[in-house]
Amino acid sequence: MTNNTTKQTIESLAERTKRGEISRRQFAQLAGLVLAGTPMLLRSTGAQAETKGLVLVNWGGDAITAYDAAYGQAFTKDTGIPVKMDGSGPTEGAIAAQFKSGAPTWDLVDVDPFSAITLGGQGMLEPIDYKIVDKSKMRPGFGWEYAASTYFFSYVIAYDSQKFGSNAPTGMADFFDVKKFPGKRSLYKWGVSSWEAALLADGVAPASLYPLDLKRAHDKIAAFKENVVSYWGGGAESQSVLLNGEASMAIVWSTRASLIEQDSGGQIKFIWDQGLISPGALAVLKNNPGGKEAAMKFIASTQDPQKELVMFDKLGQGPANPAADALIPADKKRINPVDPANMSKQIPLDMEWYAKNYGAALDEYTKIISA
Amino acid sequence: MRGTLSDRMGAALLMAPLLLFLILAYAWPFLGVVKWSFTLPTPGLGQYHALLTDDLVQSVFIRTLRIAAIVTIVSVTAAYAITVVWVRGSPVQRVLAEFCILVPFWISVLTRAFGWVALLSNRGLINTWLQSIGFISEPLTLVRNEFGVIVGMSHFLIPFAVFPLASAMRSLDERVLLAARGLGSSRMRTFWTVFVPMTRSGIIGSALITFVFSLGFFVTPAILGGGRSVMIAELIYLRIFQSPDWGLGAAISVVLVVFVGALMALLFRYVKPKQLV
Repeated sequence: MTNNTTKQTIESLAERTKRGEISRRQFAQLAGLVLAGTPMLLRSTGAQAETKGLVLVNWGGDAITAYDAAYGQAFTKDTGIPVKMDGSGPTEGAIAAQFKSGAPTWDLVDVDPFSAITLGGQGMLEPIDYKIVDKSKMRPGFGWEYAASTYFFSYVIAYDSQKFGSNAPTGMADFFDVKKFPGKRSLYKWGVSSWEAALLADGVAPASLYPLDLKRAHDKIAAFKENVVSYWGGGAESQSVLLNGEASMAIVWSTRASLIEQDSGGQIKFIWDQGLISPGALAVLKNNPGGKEAAMKFIASTQDPQKELVMFDKLGQGPANPAADALIPADKKRINPVDPANMSKQIPLDMEWYAKNYGAALDEYTKIISA
Repeated sequence: MRGTLSDRMGAALLMAPLLLFLILAYAWPFLGVVKWSFTLPTPGLGQYHALLTDDLVQSVFIRTLRIAAIVTIVSVTAAYAITVVWVRGSPVQRVLAEFCILVPFWISVLTRAFGWVALLSNRGLINTWLQSIGFISEPLTLVRNEFGVIVGMSHFLIPFAVFPLASAMRSLDERVLLAARGLGSSRMRTFWTVFVPMTRSGIIGSALITFVFSLGFFVTPAILGGGRSVMIAELIYLRIFQSPDWGLGAAISVVLVVFVGALMALLFRYVKPKQLV
């Protein structure tokens, strides 16, 4: 019996246990019999992969409990595999450090797809197994070789309606127009969305945005500097500059925009027009300790529309599975970044472009904003 | 003689675990960083060459040194005033000074940074108060810029600047001051021409400690600087985690450690370690 068939046998037994065809005790006995027929060496890998937990690394804060409530607990209930949430932030460098240590302790990472393209190209991530993960449960164009789309958020314009009276901004051109819309602005410190915003405001058509004309974008950003009160580095800061009245307009994450709207009693509003859709994704570290199979199964388990709705409720993340859109109650559809009505007004970020150019572009941007 | 020798042995034995810990937890891993700086992405001195030519690294280094210098001047000046009160004031003044020095010590650096945002922002306490007394009509921009960073960092570092000064002032021979007064020098003149020069080692120690600490600040500039005041620690973070370029990140770290090492060597030429606590 090869290791693989052993695993498959045990998995099918586990499946049957899950469906209640065999009891847990029977499962243990049968699995024991199956394993008894395998040499010791293989057993250690085969059996452990089944019982070892998975570690999922996300960006921390509310995401830790949300991931656990939406995905982790259900997966453990179904498979018996515990899933531990870690909020230390899987930046590209952190994932590389994990991989290069030779003994990674992470299994799944909530990664920027463009980082996944880069890291996957360097052999640090497992290719997504689309036999386990269902591509038909994703929006077209959002299943990558090394990362599977799990949610969406957008970079949108939020504005202080009290400052502009009945006048409301309609897109990025208004964001950069301080005559028509007086007051300070706030932009993202790590560059993403700022380049696109500058080019859209400069008259580039959404369809011909990529590849980004960085020089043109940076000239516009440099000329606009005196109108920017801060370049926010985290969600909390983006909320506070608007709530404290320091900025009359800011480009913020849509997940935060709806919170700011609530906290300000509706005074701070946001628009989807020319918003920039950014996909979030799960990827699996190469040679992950909990086993590739289990990690892929976990990703597949997150494709359930009901589970994605929990994430939408808790964090405002748009569901990756288009089947979930229709399940969102009418009054909440307004804050779903990928609801057909909202998605049609927006532009998706080009992950291939970011994979190739992000590092150099961010350097230049940092230089300009901190000069 | 024999007594001092065994004393030394005892002290060395007591220090050994700490030294071992520092070697294992700091020095050894740091050698790996040194290796990266010469090997990533390609072996050679390429990263150090990039250091000298990269505009971003240059501008961040210069900003870091400038902010550290300003923060040092502000902290040491403020600490000097507080320490004079703490060492030479009336009992009530001493308790008050001690309170002002120690309380910030117990509060997390993060909490203090956010506290300054609350104080200094447009609708913060200071702006609201200045507007209410009619001193200003538009709120002043006091935070999310370099000014905010300097305020937050100085506030954090004043207690650290106090200790070397306090030990210098305590070890000062009182009679010299009395002699100066007895010879007809005014209070002010005694202070400036006798007291201050005699605490010189404390001032140097205090300034160097503050300066070295300032170079490594990460959280305070990130919160109070509005994204504009990127300092060297954050640039290293950017290089290691955000836009992975470990070679350059490592080279910056090595330069920073060497620079700080040189400053510490300078510090111990002027000041005995005993005087810093």
